[in-house]
Amino acid sequence: MIHRRAALAAAGAGVALACVAVAGPDAALAHGLVGREDLPIPRWLFAWAAAVVLVVSFVGLAVLWPRPRLEDPPDGRRLLRVPAAAAEAIGGALGIAAFAAVAYAGLAGTQTATANLAPTAIYVVFWVGFPFASFLFGDVFRLLNPWRAAARAVAWVAGRLARGELPAPLPYPERLGRWPVALGILGFAWVELVYANRDDPSQLAVMALAYAAAQLIGMSLFGIEPWSRRADAFGVYFGLFARLSPLRWRGGTLELRRPLSGVPSLAVVPGTVAVLCVMIGTTSFDGFSNGPTWSSLAPHIQSFFGDLGLGPEHALEAAFTVGLLAVVGIIGGLYRMGIAGMRSIDPSRSSEDLARRFVHTLIPIALAYVVAHYFSLLAYQVQAVAYLASDPLGNGSNLLGTASSTIDYGIITSTGIWYVQVAALVLGHACGLALAHDRALVLYRSPRDATRSQYWMLAVMVAFTSLGLWLLSAQAQ
Amino acid sequence: MPARQRLSLIALAVVVIVVAFVLIRGSGGDSGDTPPPVAATLGARSATATSPATAPEKVVPTVVVRNGKPVGGVKTLRFRKGEQIAFRVRSDVADEVHVHGYDVHRDVAKGGMAAFSFRGTIDGIFVVELESRGEQIASLEVTP
Repeated sequence: MIHRRAALAAAGAGVALACVAVAGPDAALAHGLVGREDLPIPRWLFAWAAAVVLVVSFVGLAVLWPRPRLEDPPDGRRLLRVPAAAAEAIGGALGIAAFAAVAYAGLAGTQTATANLAPTAIYVVFWVGFPFASFLFGDVFRLLNPWRAAARAVAWVAGRLARGELPAPLPYPERLGRWPVALGILGFAWVELVYANRDDPSQLAVMALAYAAAQLIGMSLFGIEPWSRRADAFGVYFGLFARLSPLRWRGGTLELRRPLSGVPSLAVVPGTVAVLCVMIGTTSFDGFSNGPTWSSLAPHIQSFFGDLGLGPEHALEAAFTVGLLAVVGIIGGLYRMGIAGMRSIDPSRSSEDLARRFVHTLIPIALAYVVAHYFSLLAYQVQAVAYLASDPLGNGSNLLGTASSTIDYGIITSTGIWYVQVAALVLGHACGLALAHDRALVLYRSPRDATRSQYWMLAVMVAFTSLGLWLLSAQAQ
Repeated sequence: MPARQRLSLIALAVVVIVVAFVLIRGSGGDSGDTPPPVAATLGARSATATSPATAPEKVVPTVVVRNGKPVGGVKTLRFRKGEQIAFRVRSDVADEVHVHGYDVHRDVAKGGMAAFSFRGTIDGIFVVELESRGEQIASLEVTP
């Protein structure tokens, strides 16, 4: 038993280590907003990280608890109480004001990406900032969510006018589940990583407005809460990370809860597996597409699409689309393989059922990927908000007196970034492992079957963590 | 899980640590601790990994731009943090050369040359581009 377990884990790490040895030409740098890119993690740190992952896995299997501990958590400790209605109103107003300011800057301001507030606000503060904030402070986006706030304001006014006689919303289709979220996140990632005009401020503003409009239509059809919980791509995306937070907002109360205890209660509706695979897959592709492997592969795919009659720009977009979908597919395939293996323990459970019941274990891995890939981007580029907020349109104004501030690249060194990246991946791995162990104890009656099923999850997690490490070192010379 | 099995797993973990430690210490002498090559990869390769103080004749790498594109593709200029970063850009088109991150700008005339020399205070990878064309001509790598 131990041999098999060790072999699986070692195979995963071995594959990753072998991949690092692949040397390649220099990578092209991707994002137009970024002034500084991370150095790849050095080989010695990679080796240490891989070793620690293996050790964590073995020790985890040996010492983890024998009875489920996370599935039915006790109530959290109350820390703070604020008037819920007032907090929602203030948060919503702030959210709508910020959204309007960013959209206006995108449409009316300079179309130079680095001088306009919109691209940095959307790609750095919104897309990267909220996952970090959600993990640290709970589901703060729900409080600020501009489209939800707008819909609630409209519903409140309409309710006043109609004296509470609003028509009941349609029932949200069960089969739709979280599929709109998977598509929404994939769409955003496509714009960020593939689309040629990804940094164009006015196009970003138009897309943001279109997304908000789509959310308002969805909420008016199916009700504000059902739609927000299932179909609002960004609300659900940030909400998943908020489940990892030790802080939880309930009504107007802020509670402190046991770490990880917010994750197992994730409702396993259709599309949830797709959401997690899209989350991990798109972040992976962001790392992968900066590396030498993709740089040498992409021109071939591009010329294939060029031969089909596409112009060079569209051919490159098509090549990146193929790459993005392929990486998401590979992530989904890896997870499915682990599930298929787990099914061999108890064939009476369908793999569909198993895939959904273990999907929450991927949330910490997804957050680890986000931290590993975007920590430095956030640390440096968020400083750009100081001068962009003072001059949001890029026309020389100085609203806050900070227009001449610059980005201090000295706040954290490459070594510091490496340690954050590796620590995030190792911690994410450990959390995923603990969650999967807990769920297996609920699902399988005998502890022996539970442990056996976990060799497979362990293999999946080691594969994901090794992939994450490899992506950080993919530009290694 | 029986106690014996638990113990053996922990023993396995200890073995992994020890093996990793030995392997990493063993290879550390030639990969982990030695500085990456100081000499830039462009231009003459004769400059070896010696410090600028002992090698005043160090070759300054030159990026050659033809028709607005770097000859031989985008190459990497490698330096260590704290060192003086020096390179030149020779171009057959007039433009402004911009080193990202450090935000150093130099105009280059058609058929002219722009010389850069500044201290490497920030580590990381930085784009060197022809500003008005938006064309990357080199990438600057500063290692800690």
